[in-house]
Amino acid sequence: MSQAAAVELVDIWKRFPGVVANAGANLRVERGTVHAVLGENGAGKSTLMNVLSGVYRPDEGEVRLDGTPQRFHTPADALAAGIGMVHQEFRLVPSFTVAENVVLGSAERILRRQDVEARVDEVARRFGLATEPDRPVWQLSMGERQRVEILKALWRDARILILDEPTAVLTPNEADELGEVLRHMADDGRSVIFISHKLHEVTGFCDVATVLRGGETVAASLPVAETDAATLANLMVGSTSLAGERPPYRTPGEVRLAVSGLCALDDRGLPALHDVDLEIRSGEIVGIAGVAGNGQRELAQVAAGLRGSTAGSVHLDGKDVTSAPPRRRFGLGLCYIPEDRIGVGLAPRLSVVENAVLRTYKGHRRGPFLVGSRLTAYCRDLVERFGVRTGALGDPIAGLSGGNLQRLLVGRELSGRPDVVVAAQPTRGLDVQGVKAIQDLLVAERDAGTAVLLISEDLDELLTLADRLLVMHEGRIVAAFDPMDSERSVIGEAMAGHLADEGAA
Amino acid sequence: MKRPVLVRRHRPLRGGQPLAFAVGLILALAVGAVLLMAADHEPLRVYQRMFEKSLGDQNAWSLTLNRAVPLGLAGLAVAVAGSMGLWNIGAEGQILAGAIGAAWVARIGGTWPGPMLLTGMLVGAVIGGGLLALVPAMARARIGVNEIITTLMLNEIALRLLQWLIHGPWKDPDSYNFPLTPVLPAQAHLPTLFGRAHFGVIIAGAVILVFGIAASRTAWGYELRVAGSSADTARYAGISLKRKILTVLLLSGGVAGLAGGVELSGTADRLTEGISNGFGYAGIIVAALALMRPSGVAAVALLFGAVQVGGQSIQIIGVPASISTILQAFILFGAIGAGVFVRYSLRLVPTGVDASGEGGTAA
Amino acid sequence: MIGLLVATVSFGALLYLAALGELISEKAGVLNLGVEGMMAMGAVSAFMAAHQTGNPWIGLVVGILAGALTGLLHGWFTVVLGAEQVVSGLSLTILGLGFAAYMGKNVVGRPPGAVLAPVDWGPLTDIPWAGPVLFGQAPFVYLAVLVGIATWFVLSRTRAGLALRAAGESASTADAAGHSVVGLRLCAVGIGGGLAGASGAYLTLTLTPQWAEGITAGRGWIAVALVIFGAWRPGRAAVGALLFGGLLALKTRLQTFGVDFSPILLSMLPYVSTIAVLIAISVRARNRPSPAPAALGTAYRREER
Repeated sequence: MSQAAAVELVDIWKRFPGVVANAGANLRVERGTVHAVLGENGAGKSTLMNVLSGVYRPDEGEVRLDGTPQRFHTPADALAAGIGMVHQEFRLVPSFTVAENVVLGSAERILRRQDVEARVDEVARRFGLATEPDRPVWQLSMGERQRVEILKALWRDARILILDEPTAVLTPNEADELGEVLRHMADDGRSVIFISHKLHEVTGFCDVATVLRGGETVAASLPVAETDAATLANLMVGSTSLAGERPPYRTPGEVRLAVSGLCALDDRGLPALHDVDLEIRSGEIVGIAGVAGNGQRELAQVAAGLRGSTAGSVHLDGKDVTSAPPRRRFGLGLCYIPEDRIGVGLAPRLSVVENAVLRTYKGHRRGPFLVGSRLTAYCRDLVERFGVRTGALGDPIAGLSGGNLQRLLVGRELSGRPDVVVAAQPTRGLDVQGVKAIQDLLVAERDAGTAVLLISEDLDELLTLADRLLVMHEGRIVAAFDPMDSERSVIGEAMAGHLADEGAA
Repeated sequence: MKRPVLVRRHRPLRGGQPLAFAVGLILALAVGAVLLMAADHEPLRVYQRMFEKSLGDQNAWSLTLNRAVPLGLAGLAVAVAGSMGLWNIGAEGQILAGAIGAAWVARIGGTWPGPMLLTGMLVGAVIGGGLLALVPAMARARIGVNEIITTLMLNEIALRLLQWLIHGPWKDPDSYNFPLTPVLPAQAHLPTLFGRAHFGVIIAGAVILVFGIAASRTAWGYELRVAGSSADTARYAGISLKRKILTVLLLSGGVAGLAGGVELSGTADRLTEGISNGFGYAGIIVAALALMRPSGVAAVALLFGAVQVGGQSIQIIGVPASISTILQAFILFGAIGAGVFVRYSLRLVPTGVDASGEGGTAA
Repeated sequence: MIGLLVATVSFGALLYLAALGELISEKAGVLNLGVEGMMAMGAVSAFMAAHQTGNPWIGLVVGILAGALTGLLHGWFTVVLGAEQVVSGLSLTILGLGFAAYMGKNVVGRPPGAVLAPVDWGPLTDIPWAGPVLFGQAPFVYLAVLVGIATWFVLSRTRAGLALRAAGESASTADAAGHSVVGLRLCAVGIGGGLAGASGAYLTLTLTPQWAEGITAGRGWIAVALVIFGAWRPGRAAVGALLFGGLLALKTRLQTFGVDFSPILLSMLPYVSTIAVLIAISVRARNRPSPAPAALGTAYRREER
């Protein structure tokens, strides 16, 4: 057997107020391998990686590199020990060039631009990371920015590279390229830790997989070649598969939300939606699956009236609302649960009451005045009905947990008795209880005859809840599936843009 | 080893701001005492005189109230914009523009009866201040130009405009070449309430009250708070951000302009370069100390008025009035220093441990 | 005409020194609207020190230190305590002007203890045109040029400059890269204050060698404008400084040229053109990032949890 592993995390415990994030998690990563760390949201992946990269100190347990116990006080310590981490939110200066970003923090006293750029280029080439060192980062695509992040770690000679859900922002092509880069690095004797909950990527380009569930390691260092996606999926979700609990599907009613020929631009002014057609009927949940950044976000925003369209139309209960502002659409029965809870759905510095009445404050007026007692009563009712746990209603919402924020937001939207719900990533980042509560609310809405558009990156959630499943790829709806009768792998292929004949609509 | 770490409180300490303000006041008085002693003055005697001459009797109060009028209106102007997260740094220029607007009405309406002329002057003042805010407001609402610098630049532009008027077209031919306009018509002065206090006190009080109610109790004020908290949330709730920015900045300019008009018709008898005396800049401090709340603006303006009036009164005993400027600035610095602890609590943690701390094994 | 050019360069250097200070501070992410106050502090301190010692160089050093200390007060409140930069900066202006007036009350109108006279370059000064304009200037002009070049070099060609710009563009990125955002910003604000102090010293040691309240006459605001006019670049700011300096110089000479245009209206131009530049930047920023440091005006505090 080989000597000590490159990384060993032994019996790591980390507790936060009210949550045990890691409960004796173990991880052993050998040199020269690409090692997947799998787990659902809340399984403790991020916490474990933050322990390894020096952001958190474990309550118990030990971090060993090459067999030597380590004690990291700061991320800088971990960095110095050769651990590089690529976060989901890139830490790049947009106005700096690629080379400037790469050398930031480890530059020589005097910068000779061309010299630095040439050396950055050399490192990039060595690992197959094609970049232009003199280009400013703001001009780069998300995939290119990720390469710069990886390059930063390599520049500092990281022997262990952690990538936190790196493919979430990538196109399938870019994801494949990333796979090749990671292979390069492993061949170079480095270790790559690849955090993900996407199974096809794990089977695609990882050597070994460790699965976490509930803060514990449930499977350590499984050779990927000797396992399959189904096994890994079962390990991730545990024995109690959610698939059996599918609520029964009923016959849908009439069309509530109709989108036809819709085109729209993204924030950068590039086309994000191409000729999208979509009908949602009363009493059904239509799920939209897709890799992040394929137009789902824009579709939800156009439907809610927060983003203009360049062509096509949106009809709500037969009325043309293509150019109607958000408030009018709400009045017509369309409610929207945006993916950015705080900052779009909720106003960060305002109180619980002020946030609760965001949609309905105009109904609590007497002349130009808002009636305080009615606002409070309305809010108290909402909080009780949807089980939001809050302090004083006049306090800022900053003190609420993610799950309670989402209950407040969803409760506020649903309390208007909508005909149509547009929900974008409604359960992302919530704990298990929170996820269940929100999902139950959506199903109850569906059962009450509401038309629900559910956008999620969590395929399992869509398979559990949706009555029909559409797949978006590069701004188009490319396939439609019956969730009761489709294979994950086929849906996954469609999400990647590979159209199988049987699934195509 | 331990190191101090500031940890954000879930909600600000209740009653913290008045406390912070008191800390600022004490710090300012302490610094002032040191400076006074350094120049061989007796701090207690100076402070006593400042107090007597600003708050000691009815006449003193009337002077302080008069001073609080432009400070309060300027502070309100800043606070109105601030409640939406906008910075109107241009109150100083808007005051000048307001005074110009009022003086212009007085020039063309010299023969009008008093109430009509005064109303006209105040309307002219509001329009003048609003006009000066027009460019920053449009630029911010339409193309997102940061209003801090545009309003700041317009202060200097308004000052040059005023200088040009009083050196040129509006100069009093009988002024022996001093840069002054002719004296205002007799009926262009606001009526007196008591002592020296003029009707502007009531105007300012009423305007602050109306805005206070509008900001805290109406749907309009609620929409402002939403827009100030998050622009995306405002769009989501169907609140037109552009229109809000435009109205708020124009209103803010108008209120500051009103201060100029009231100052001209209340305490001055002609338009001069010194008509504002830095009220616009002081107003920013007033608004900041009041945390952008109209009720707080009134209180802070009164205190700053007293400090300014007291500062003038000590010149007679040989103490420079600049001591009152120093006091005002240190009240703010002291209060923002103390204000940090209203929002954050200080904890000592062992060095090298992340602030979640509890699991750390102290080295 | 030569007189006009000489004055242009001389006023330009005055504005450029203060503007460079503000530029460095803003590049690190700290908007300091206290330039006027720091200039006043520098002006009065330099004058008083020169008055006491008879040595203008001591005056210069004291002026720079006074400006730096005043600036660091802003740094303490905004960078360390996280106070609102706009409010703190404006208070600094008010404080600086008041403090300078208080300090200098006994030397108002006094003759200078010492002045920093134009440098004698010998025969070079006799070159027609270029001689007096380039070589007949006070040491401050050469100081401004040197500081301008140094600022450009440090910001764009050194590790320290890269870190400083990172602190102004994205403080969390600079922090993650191992740089101390607080340290960088304090440094920048201190240097900025020192340069504003030097600019103030230039006023009372060379340009109008005496002290009077209000001697800064709003030039601090022009310096703030210059940073924007120059799109946060030392080179462009130099061009702007010469333009604005030319306007200041022209203002006093307009009548002598027999031009019937109010010098007061002329002096609006720097501010008007800065607003125009700002609007132009914003219009262009629809397709590309603004040249303004992205984190300008925002406090940074590492998320403690």
